[in-house]
Amino acid sequence: MKQNRLVIFILLAVMLMVSACGGNTATPATTEAPVTPPTEVVQPTQAPPTAVPPTDVPAPEPTAAPKVLRIANTANFTTWDPIKSFSTEAAYMANMYEQLLRINPPNSAERFTPLLAESWESTADGLTWTFHLRQGVTFHDGEVMNANAVKLSIEAAADHGGASFIWWMLDTIDTPDEYTVVFNLTTPAPVDLIASSLYSAWIISPKALEAVAADETYFETGKEAGTGPYLLDSYTPDQEVVFKKFDNYWGGWSSDNYDIVLNLIVPESTTQQQLLEGGEIDLASTIPYDNVDTFKTNPDYTVYEEKSFFNYVGFFNTLRPPLDNPLVRQALSYAIPYQDIISIAFSGLGTQSRGPVPEGVWPWSDQVNQYTYDMDKAEELMDQAGYGDGGFTIRLTHASENAAEATFAPLIKDSFAQLGVEVTIESMLFNQQWEQAKSDPANAQDMFLLLYWPTYSDAGSDNLWSMFYYTEAPFFNLSYWNNPDYNSQLDQAIANTVVDPAKSQQEYIDVMNLLVDQAPGVFFLDTKAPYVIPNHIAGFQYNLNYPFTPFWFYELTPAK
Amino acid sequence: MHRLEFILRRLLSSIFVLIGVSIITFTVARVIPSNAAAMYIGPKARPEDIARVTVKLGLDKPLPEQYLVYMGELLHGDLGTSIGTKRPVLMELSGRLPATLELLFTGMLIAVIVGVPMGVLSARWQGKPADVFVRVIAIIGVSMPAFYLGLLLQILFFSRLDLLPLAGRFSNELRFTNPINLLTNFLLIDALIMRNWIALKDVAYHLVLPALTLAAFPAGLIARMTRASMLEVMEQDYIRTARAYGIRETVIVYIYALKNALSPTLTVIGLTFAFALTGTFFVEVIFNWPGLGLFTVHSLLNVDYPAIMGITLFGSVMYVLINLAVDLLQAWIDPRISLK
Amino acid sequence: MTIVPVISLEPEIQSRRTARHVFNVILRDPLSLISTIVIILFILIAIFCYQVAPYPLEGAGKTNVANSLLPPSLEHPFGCDKLGRDVLSRVIVGARPALIVPIGVVAFAVLIGAPLGAIAGFKGGWIDEIIMRVTDLFLAFPSLLLAMAIASALGRGIQNAAIALIVSWWPWYTRLVRGVTISLKERYFVEAAQAIGVRESVIILRHILPNTISAILVQATVDLGTVILAMGGLAFLGLGTQPPSPDWGLMVSEGRTYILEQWWISTFPGLAIFVVVLAFNLIGDTLRDIFDPRQYR
Repeated sequence: MKQNRLVIFILLAVMLMVSACGGNTATPATTEAPVTPPTEVVQPTQAPPTAVPPTDVPAPEPTAAPKVLRIANTANFTTWDPIKSFSTEAAYMANMYEQLLRINPPNSAERFTPLLAESWESTADGLTWTFHLRQGVTFHDGEVMNANAVKLSIEAAADHGGASFIWWMLDTIDTPDEYTVVFNLTTPAPVDLIASSLYSAWIISPKALEAVAADETYFETGKEAGTGPYLLDSYTPDQEVVFKKFDNYWGGWSSDNYDIVLNLIVPESTTQQQLLEGGEIDLASTIPYDNVDTFKTNPDYTVYEEKSFFNYVGFFNTLRPPLDNPLVRQALSYAIPYQDIISIAFSGLGTQSRGPVPEGVWPWSDQVNQYTYDMDKAEELMDQAGYGDGGFTIRLTHASENAAEATFAPLIKDSFAQLGVEVTIESMLFNQQWEQAKSDPANAQDMFLLLYWPTYSDAGSDNLWSMFYYTEAPFFNLSYWNNPDYNSQLDQAIANTVVDPAKSQQEYIDVMNLLVDQAPGVFFLDTKAPYVIPNHIAGFQYNLNYPFTPFWFYELTPAK
Repeated sequence: MHRLEFILRRLLSSIFVLIGVSIITFTVARVIPSNAAAMYIGPKARPEDIARVTVKLGLDKPLPEQYLVYMGELLHGDLGTSIGTKRPVLMELSGRLPATLELLFTGMLIAVIVGVPMGVLSARWQGKPADVFVRVIAIIGVSMPAFYLGLLLQILFFSRLDLLPLAGRFSNELRFTNPINLLTNFLLIDALIMRNWIALKDVAYHLVLPALTLAAFPAGLIARMTRASMLEVMEQDYIRTARAYGIRETVIVYIYALKNALSPTLTVIGLTFAFALTGTFFVEVIFNWPGLGLFTVHSLLNVDYPAIMGITLFGSVMYVLINLAVDLLQAWIDPRISLK
Repeated sequence: MTIVPVISLEPEIQSRRTARHVFNVILRDPLSLISTIVIILFILIAIFCYQVAPYPLEGAGKTNVANSLLPPSLEHPFGCDKLGRDVLSRVIVGARPALIVPIGVVAFAVLIGAPLGAIAGFKGGWIDEIIMRVTDLFLAFPSLLLAMAIASALGRGIQNAAIALIVSWWPWYTRLVRGVTISLKERYFVEAAQAIGVRESVIILRHILPNTISAILVQATVDLGTVILAMGGLAFLGLGTQPPSPDWGLMVSEGRTYILEQWWISTFPGLAIFVVVLAFNLIGDTLRDIFDPRQYR
């Protein structure tokens, strides 16, 4: 039957033609990185080939190997635009760009590390903040870093940044001289905290800012214009990012630093673990929680269990009976098996939350109460509320991408079943889950599981406000709670943050206890992030203030 | 002019099918309840940004208008931009195609090299233990879920025996010491051209497990079909005549029968190519193989509708075009068909 | 010299004869016998899953945290998964969606596809053109890809996966039945029926469809195996059954993280899929040998 041979032949021919065409497409995937000496040309091997034509040099023998650090990260790029950036690409932004300053991990000697700003001060009323910039810093594209660059960057961020809201209180920025920047605010706010944020606080080259103002997609093909220690060498979406050291970095270089950082994008933690064990990568961003224990007894690795910025909250739909009754919500809060959730879904890597503020972040306090797993109390309260036998259904939604939520949702279901409350579990893409919750309250879920993290190190104006302050159109207030006392007390506490920190802390404690008592949500746990670091790498330090950024390339060196 | 009429009819119906495909895919992809603008921005997308991006992506226009816009761009070769990777869909497709093709070809090659001889042997020794053995192996191949087989192979060859790599196309160390200069993006060919033996070996090692996993189903199918068509042929009169004339059994089997059994077998090989294509979804997921299959799965799970549109259109267009070409060629070769 | 149409009698006699014939063949061939027994066993397990499973509640999804990740033992022959649920019970309860749903899917696909194919083949002309074009449209996609796209559009869940599979599979039966119908049309008894003046719908229903049954049966049996694989595949990718409901494909996917140390979580459900599909394929082979030894598909 000749035609079938024909089918195969034509199929092959056409496909070969198409892929050959694809092979010749000049990809903008490579950047305008400075020209490298030919022996160090790095070819992405899993991508549309670069615009660089193949060299005439025949099969290369192993070259003088540049020092390469190989990392696997689950993080992908939602955007390359440092202004718009608001997601997991922060892992890479943090190594290419810098802020004015960086906040150190809790319990450090100094609260901040100066970066592009050497020093700063504020007026007593907290309305004016002055930053003195470091001199002699250049951007990757050659521009000089000065007050004008800072002004342009922050103004752009405040105008249309991914996290522009952190600058809501910014009035104007003055540049009295080339290396001094003054922030004028409408209300007192901790600009040192805000300017150290992982989002909407990067300082960007004015040339790039001009380019993106003209063409919105300027960065998207894989370009960057920061001052950070590493610059972008090549990018293959969904596959890898390759960074090269920026020779003119103001911090200088020693022979210990890595020349090249190869960052593989590996979404599966199991694969990452196997790559790490197989020696194909030096660092893994995520290891399956269950398998962390096996590394603890392995002499080649050190396991760090770090407090993180992330916590899990479950919102009750306070508009829908019987969840509108605080007694019922309190009862259900006693019916959550907190320790089981931590040990089963997180392999013990977490601590039960005290309210929605994660431990280690302002304004956390151990004076905030928490519930315990007490079924007797739960039944008692249900009786009191008139639901002694339960008799209602709860529709629980969670994000399908989140394996931990998928694991502990059944635990909630089984526990509530003991009270006669039936739980139906619905898993959907986070985006869909969130859309549903924000749209029609009649269609909304009864319980919403959420993984949350604050945008910068202030969980008072972030977590407490975003999650439970009443707004007409719900954003993260997915319990739809409206408590006037809470709203006004919180406003007070936020206002006092810079002006009278001690008073502010006490006000925060009171408002958090009010929240926990009224229980519009369940506060499951603050997660811990496990990091398995092979002993041949030194310099790892986790900074919980920068979620998604486990690795600061500049600080990592081969161990002696 | 029957032939002309036939050609026109086939062309028209192909266009109808393609348009139908595009409408169905478009509707399906856009019906998915999810806010594409929010996905574009990322988690914690604010309402103002969502509004802005919605307008930017043209999502506020009515559905039929969006469809027309899409088709207009399509005719210019623009398949839109992937929400996930922010790069043009066409670039994503053409970039990942070689990886999948390399896997497919290798897998099919193994399937044919293993399947055809198995089928022939089984027919030759019909009823004997060899036949039973082949039939059992073949049916196991056809019944084994690809995702299961892949996992088992990974456990055996990577975990327990440490013989073969776990996933991916190329080892990371070698990327800097023995990089491959990309010409065709078929790594085997590229490594071969540059005589980069170390890289060639590494690429081959990485190909083994995924190709084997992919080959299981087609190999089984091909073996069964070869056997069946061999048996059918061997019952023919002319074979019996050949035997009567005293020609050796070996010659009969391997030369006369096989030659005639080969044509239907080729039909089947063509068909199994389609099955193997769907097999790539699972194989690429398990082995983290950066090809079209993995991209398709991710796009579907993440509701990346431009990518979904692009993939389905691309696949269907290929299929329809090839069928059309074949029909036309067939009509040209054998005019009787156009008279049907 | 009356033309005695033995038409109405023939199909019934034929089918009775064939049923007994099938029975005998299966009894004599050990592989087929075992396969049939396995299938019947699994179907019984699927129907009576809650009675058969040692821990029926866990099978359905109830957690038992204390038993997390227990290896196989006497109390738990297949071990326990991450949430402490007995894997054997999960496999047993999972038999229901794994078997009953594909049976339903194939049944609906036949119910939709076969009559359409009969009409197309019998009527010919523009009805045939339209039906064939629509069928081509659906067959323009590889079935699994189409099913994946529809399942992700409708939302995750087993009903939507089933709908997706039905929509992807009915065209095959249309094509099959159409082909059979066209060849049957040429057979004299259909012409004879038309000569006598029997209504078209009666011809299709009483004469054509019954004769397509053997072809449909063979195809359906093999398709059952394919659909079970497809459902498992969809669940594995995350598009089918959602946790905490048990589903073999889903269990294989859930167990992937633990595959190195706690191999039992993925291995047994995967094995179940394999065994069931194997059984259906073997029976399909036997049926094909009986009904049409000349067909190589």
